[in-house]
Amino acid sequence: MGVVVTGVGIVSALGVGVQSNIVSMREGRSGISAHPSILKTGNILPVGELRMTNDELHRLADIPVHKHLSRTALLGIIAAREALADAKAEPSKRIGLVSSTSVGGMDLTEGFFREFMKDDSAGRLRDVRMHDCGAITSAMAHYCGINAYTTTISTACSSAANAVMFGAKLIEHDVVDYVVAGGSDALSAFTLNGFKSLMILDRQACRPFDRSRAGLNLGEGAGYLVLQGDKNSAPNYYCRLAGYANRNDAHHQTATSAEGEGAFLAMAEALKLANLSPREVSYINAHGTGTQNNDSAESAAFIRLFGENIPAFSSTKGFTGHTLAAAGGIEAAYSVLSVAKGFLYPNLNFSHPIEEFGLIPNSEFSEGNNIDCVLSNSFGFGGNCSSLVFVR
Amino acid sequence: MKCYIDSVVVDSRIPADDIRELIPDALLRRRMSRLLRTAVATAVSCVGGVENIASLDAIITATGWGCLTDSERFLRNMISEDEQLLNPTPFIQSTFNTVGGIIALMGKNHCYNMTYVNRSHSFEDALLDSMIRVADGSSRNLLVGAFDEQTQSQYRIMERMGVFRSQSPGEGSVFVSILSEKSQSSLAQLVRLDFPGNSLNETEVLERYASSSASLLLFNSYRDKGLFPTASAHSFARAVELIRCGESEVVVYNEYLGATPAVSVVQCVG
Repeated sequence: MGVVVTGVGIVSALGVGVQSNIVSMREGRSGISAHPSILKTGNILPVGELRMTNDELHRLADIPVHKHLSRTALLGIIAAREALADAKAEPSKRIGLVSSTSVGGMDLTEGFFREFMKDDSAGRLRDVRMHDCGAITSAMAHYCGINAYTTTISTACSSAANAVMFGAKLIEHDVVDYVVAGGSDALSAFTLNGFKSLMILDRQACRPFDRSRAGLNLGEGAGYLVLQGDKNSAPNYYCRLAGYANRNDAHHQTATSAEGEGAFLAMAEALKLANLSPREVSYINAHGTGTQNNDSAESAAFIRLFGENIPAFSSTKGFTGHTLAAAGGIEAAYSVLSVAKGFLYPNLNFSHPIEEFGLIPNSEFSEGNNIDCVLSNSFGFGGNCSSLVFVR
Repeated sequence: MKCYIDSVVVDSRIPADDIRELIPDALLRRRMSRLLRTAVATAVSCVGGVENIASLDAIITATGWGCLTDSERFLRNMISEDEQLLNPTPFIQSTFNTVGGIIALMGKNHCYNMTYVNRSHSFEDALLDSMIRVADGSSRNLLVGAFDEQTQSQYRIMERMGVFRSQSPGEGSVFVSILSEKSQSSLAQLVRLDFPGNSLNETEVLERYASSSASLLLFNSYRDKGLFPTASAHSFARAVELIRCGESEVVVYNEYLGATPAVSVVQCVG
């Protein structure tokens, strides 16, 4: 049974909902701000932050503030509900959830730990109840009307792409009728300082694939797709999920191999599963974080796979920042809309190609393009590389 | 859907001296937390040595809590050092897929590598992924593992939550080698996995899942290992051991702290 996409939902620094994300990109408006204003941190670093407090997010989701959900869960609930409403999912069918996150409820745990470190009887326990990743999925299932199998994946920055992949398997094997699949991550001091300690955060706006790139900007958000079997879905679906693959770079815990072995294998395998040749790819939504290492390795993998005929490609992280576990979900949603509506997204802040590769990303927003096949890339720590293939 | 269990290793059976042989890279070993060291050593032991990692075509790990020691170390440093000049190692190692990544790295293995972090179902979710991959021919030689660690802070927090009034704490690692085909060394076969939406009693479990009156039931036996999300992997290991000792079928039922249950059925290899 083929797998089709029938719903999309997005929350990012560009705003709440698919529409506000697309409008921002059409207008070339980035969601990156000079420093966090909601997140509690002493770091003055650019971030892609959704300018809404947790209380505001509770109200937006129509959930009482005293339920005290973690920001990751709130972002996830809002995006997953949009995707489910979009798909017009029938509540009588089996609706599963494959979610993913890298920080879980860390946004609340951080506050708890400050108190707990001084006195281990201090800190409010309600701030750690949602610490683990599964707690986020459990809250999402509760508030989104999920009535069948749920699970949680966490493979760093490729998490949501892997969630979409496993979601597809659940449809193919008739475990569920619908699956909501994607990821959510809130900004946290933990991840901001983590990436700062690795010295891969740019102090300015990130410049994916540019010669002068100096690191990534961290972002937050959530992106979910609703997947169904093509035999059970209405004929007006967005597109097909024709291929997917996860391969490991097996080179280093955090760095990517210079030749982008994992990225190459993931893209090649995903296309093979989709029964497509590289020349049939219309657009690549690249991982493109803006770090020296990623963008070089990904460029090398593009050249190895596509040779002289590199398809249109761009990284949308100049708009959203790197939303970690959510990135694969948000970018899968952008990719789905690219196939369905012919959108090509701009790669912000690009001026000069990396000398060694000479690759020039797409720089303008355009619509009505003839897009038959989009590749969405997500690569993470632990060498975890994933590619999804969406086709018309 | 079914698959064959070729080997099961539980961390408690690995002597400390053997860890040095199982993880030969001294630098890597020194950087690792106790959890990472134990889990990776258990994995390597399960496949029969580092040289056998290369032949795996899926590495699937499961953890409810993840690498707590490293997460906590980074969090403490971040707060006490006021977000300045932090050591990145605990941050890197706090990632949930660290164990899976290290196994791939040690064997230079580019295969499918997945990590489930789903409370008390993490291990069963990893098993479901394995069964699906075997059923559709995606994988033939899989390594599936589960691990969780207890830390002082986490003990204290769970104690304050009142969890240990009726249960004792626990931790551990289990790795299972799964093959798509029956082999000389097959110990047992996994024939069914289910996630019933509501709680069942012992009679109901046997009625629904046992294929004969000879079937044995491990009902919430994860409690014997103490309370941690992947304790059910230890019940699964015990089920395989019981099959090896001559039982024909073992049904493993786990219902952890109010979560919906997970059921696996293990049989002797016919």
